[in-house]
Amino acid sequence: MADTSSLTSTLHPLEIKVLTALYQHRLSTSSSSQQALREEQIADSASLEPSQLSMAVEWLLTKSFIRVDSEKVTPVVSLTKVGERYFEKYSPLERILSVARDAKQTGRRLTIQDIQAREGLEPTAMSGAIGCLKKEGAIQIVQGGYVEATGSPSPTAESLRALFRDLRGSSRELDSFPEAMRQVIEQHAVRRGNAKEPFRVDERIQRWYVLTPEGQEAAQALARQGRAAITPSSGSLNLTEEVAGLAEEVSQLTPELLKDGAWRTKRFRKYTISLRPPRLAAGRRHPYREFLDQVKRKLVSLGFQEMRGPLVETEFWNMDALYMPQFHPARAIHDVYFVKEPTHATTIAEPFLSRVAATHRNGGETGSTGWGYDYDLTRARRLVLRSQGTAVSARTLAAGPQVPGKYFSIARCFRYDQVDATHATDFFQIEGIVLGSDITFRTLLGLLDLFAREVAQARESRFLPAYFPFTEPSVELHVRHPRLGWIELGGAGLFRPEVTLPLGVDVPVIAWGLGLDRMAMVALDIHDIRDLFSTDLEMIRTTRGHF
Amino acid sequence: MPTISINRKDFEQLIGQPATDEQIADWLPLVKGELKEQDSKTGELRIELQDSNRPDLWSCEGIARQIRLKLAGAVSPYPFFKSTRRPTRRLLVSPGLEHVRPYVAACTAVGYAVTDEGLAQLIQVQEKLSDIFGRKRHTVSIGLYRLSQIEFPVHYDLVKQDEARFTPLGFEQTMSLSEILTVHPKGLEYGPILAGHELVPLLRDKAGRVLSLPPIINSREVGEVRVEDRELFVEVTGTDLSMAILTLNILAVNLADRGATIEPVEVDYPSATSLGRAVQTPLDFGKLQSIPIKTIETALGQTLDAKTIQSALRSYGYEVSAVRNKLSVKPPPYRNDLMHTVDVAEDVAISLGYERFEPEMPTQFTVGSLSRLEQVSDKIRDLMVGFGFQEIISNILASRLELVERMRLAGSEWDRLVEVENVMSQSYACLRQWITPSLLRVEAASSRAFYPHRLFEVGEVVIPDPTDVMGSRTCTALGVLIAHAGANFSEVHSCLDLLLFYLNQPYTLEPMNHPSFLEGRVGRIESKGRTLGLIGELHPETLEHWQVSLPAAAFQLEVDALAEEHKS
Repeated sequence: MADTSSLTSTLHPLEIKVLTALYQHRLSTSSSSQQALREEQIADSASLEPSQLSMAVEWLLTKSFIRVDSEKVTPVVSLTKVGERYFEKYSPLERILSVARDAKQTGRRLTIQDIQAREGLEPTAMSGAIGCLKKEGAIQIVQGGYVEATGSPSPTAESLRALFRDLRGSSRELDSFPEAMRQVIEQHAVRRGNAKEPFRVDERIQRWYVLTPEGQEAAQALARQGRAAITPSSGSLNLTEEVAGLAEEVSQLTPELLKDGAWRTKRFRKYTISLRPPRLAAGRRHPYREFLDQVKRKLVSLGFQEMRGPLVETEFWNMDALYMPQFHPARAIHDVYFVKEPTHATTIAEPFLSRVAATHRNGGETGSTGWGYDYDLTRARRLVLRSQGTAVSARTLAAGPQVPGKYFSIARCFRYDQVDATHATDFFQIEGIVLGSDITFRTLLGLLDLFAREVAQARESRFLPAYFPFTEPSVELHVRHPRLGWIELGGAGLFRPEVTLPLGVDVPVIAWGLGLDRMAMVALDIHDIRDLFSTDLEMIRTTRGHF
Repeated sequence: MPTISINRKDFEQLIGQPATDEQIADWLPLVKGELKEQDSKTGELRIELQDSNRPDLWSCEGIARQIRLKLAGAVSPYPFFKSTRRPTRRLLVSPGLEHVRPYVAACTAVGYAVTDEGLAQLIQVQEKLSDIFGRKRHTVSIGLYRLSQIEFPVHYDLVKQDEARFTPLGFEQTMSLSEILTVHPKGLEYGPILAGHELVPLLRDKAGRVLSLPPIINSREVGEVRVEDRELFVEVTGTDLSMAILTLNILAVNLADRGATIEPVEVDYPSATSLGRAVQTPLDFGKLQSIPIKTIETALGQTLDAKTIQSALRSYGYEVSAVRNKLSVKPPPYRNDLMHTVDVAEDVAISLGYERFEPEMPTQFTVGSLSRLEQVSDKIRDLMVGFGFQEIISNILASRLELVERMRLAGSEWDRLVEVENVMSQSYACLRQWITPSLLRVEAASSRAFYPHRLFEVGEVVIPDPTDVMGSRTCTALGVLIAHAGANFSEVHSCLDLLLFYLNQPYTLEPMNHPSFLEGRVGRIESKGRTLGLIGELHPETLEHWQVSLPAAAFQLEVDALAEEHKS
């Protein structure tokens, strides 16, 4: 046994802190049975990081200044990497429940396979979660194999969420949780053969330490030497500057440290900078908007003025003014949404109504034979949801447009379609008109060439004959898209005189429309047209555009 | 519009030469056709035909005809359109049909033994013509029969539903007309065309043998054409005389292209039609048109000499002659789609090929600009993004459940909506009248997206307005919603306050009651005596209805009003 005073002179500041903490504790307790301190208690009163504590304890054990008084084994729960991910992105069970509840609200029906495909879950994860949710009565499987949310809560889902939150970044003793949660933990804990679980239960060995007589002597010596100030009555421990200055490490630079210059005496804890940072809830334009904005800017830069029109239209502006006969197959109940109330507009502006009616009947003053049928003036007033952006062009023609003039609109349109991955019931149409005395079939092709280069960045394009009721000649523009290969980019043509003359325009007019949804979907890397108007905030936040 | 199947070998026979894939691809623009699929084993080609005004192209014969013309460079006319001899066969129309299904056109085709592929095409063209051109048999329907079974004249009669019986196609036993209308699948499908008529049309021959109950079903004995049949009777009934005749013309040229000899039939009406009392069909009702060459040149933006235009039109099926600076043109009898000279100009361009026309940039200068409304919308989007809000774009169609009921607005002054009459899905049955429900829809679907949630949308809404000519107004509005554990009025108020500061819009908040929001925590946003919108903390019951489990606060602003005010 060496001389304690010589020993104390070689003590490391960390060791001094631990010795002092144990000595302090001893002085403040009368009972000898309560003299031992747990690791955390020592760390607390000595203000030590766990790693510092374990170093100091190890050294002091070697020097026989402290000894282990007792040991206890405690199960401790923490999140695995899977668990950390579930905290942010949700566990399969929570996701299944959420999808089922969303589906119920929107009236969609999903099978287990649908959910599995949609969420990209593994079959084993699926079956366990489905089984659990079914057992709890939160979902049921109805005829046809559809998963249906019952509206009842899922205690497991709720427990999981609470546990992810509580355990994120720290561990807790298993026994600190109520029985029900302990069961959930045990069901979802990593064990052999099942590594992909969110929780890990480790056995933590806790040890209580006491001072040996030598340790006690050393501590007293330290106090005498003034290297540690002991205040027996209060719990506080005042180390001298020497000890504090050597050991103190701070994690955050504070205004106070800057103000009084104390940062000079601190050491700053080093960060593990390779860790992923916490996520930012940022403000951002919708990714589809970014795409549309780009098109919008491009069109303005090419000399186009924006035009707008109402969502509820009359059949007159939506179709009649575009020389689509009232018996046209695309006007039937199966293509257009009709307004329930009121069913008709009160009037249609003259002289347009009379002129369009005459044009349909016998060509009117347009030099056309007309469609030769009994034009129905009441039908003209029938209210519909705008089914094509060309309705906006028709209104612009009637409103006295500039000549020469270029116009465009990004118009929300509605079609009576069963909604699926390739059909939307309301969607944007990008279209417009060009008026001018220099407009001919060849300038039409020139304009389309311009769109191919400027809007689609295509080097190659070709023109094919097409059919639209309101244009003649009509053209389809096909381009070689850098990523998609040959696609149909749009349709265009010269408005028929039956369209322009009754609306008071006597120069040739190009009507064009661009089908950009497919390009938008490629740019946004989505495969379902419904996702352009997604209600999934996570998806909107994480969709990048490739423009 | 229709997509049809043709057999490659059959097609090659009809054009009179073999065709490579490249040739077919080159020719299809002549018929505005697009090859959708091809089966190299069976030789089947699926072709979509765009032009809804060219029913003559909706068959293998039609496509082949247009291409054959191009290859030959000239028309070989169909003689039966020019026949001056009075037809030996007649079809007599009874009085009264003018109120039910007034018109009929008919002819016979002999000397062509129907082949497998010919029969398939006959059935397909019959289906496409009566379905699409004839609007599901409403305006036009077609019957094909074995001529040998028929004694002329044929009678087109109007009869009581229990007056006649016959065995319809697809059945073994005879049925009365009323039974056919109520039991036969075709009767159930097309019967509604005759709804409201006690007397129905019936085609019978001289001996009283029933040919068919138009537009429902043929007789099985007379009206079932088979492969190897060499003598056919073809009729078309309908509600439009020129459409019925055009349909018959198309069927006649199709059969003629396969080698049949067409004999016209005379249809005798009880009173005069636009074409007289006795109408001989098929009938070429095409008229000569005189078109200045200049008109075509101007439309196409290219100088073309008379010879080029003439040969382009001839090889597209027209009869053409040039007189000085004008062309005299007549379309082929199987077409009735030329309403204006622009139609002829397009045919010139298609016949020459669009690639013959050099694109030319429009040269006139114009100034581009966004609408005032869009400029203000963009400014608002920029500000909201800067405030940390995520933009949302929603469907404008929604359900009454979402727009009214979940918002606790049923029975309130805010419960009126523009609704759709022909609802496809209840989820898309109404136009939204405000944006807050769209944002709650996102919130409800996004409980697993990390918090806080700060959302906005600048978009269109439709406000019912009985004083408006259209009964409603389309407006642009800004909707803002926050949802997180501490979301409250004060936070959205701060956002509104700063937004209106930057938009230079002084405002006051006036307390109001609105069922979607908590009483005492909702207000009208007012400016210069005008209401710009509303702001509040959402009512817990509203949140419950949406199954949103965190507090939320929202405001909505009329952007139209701001755009007017914002003019500086």
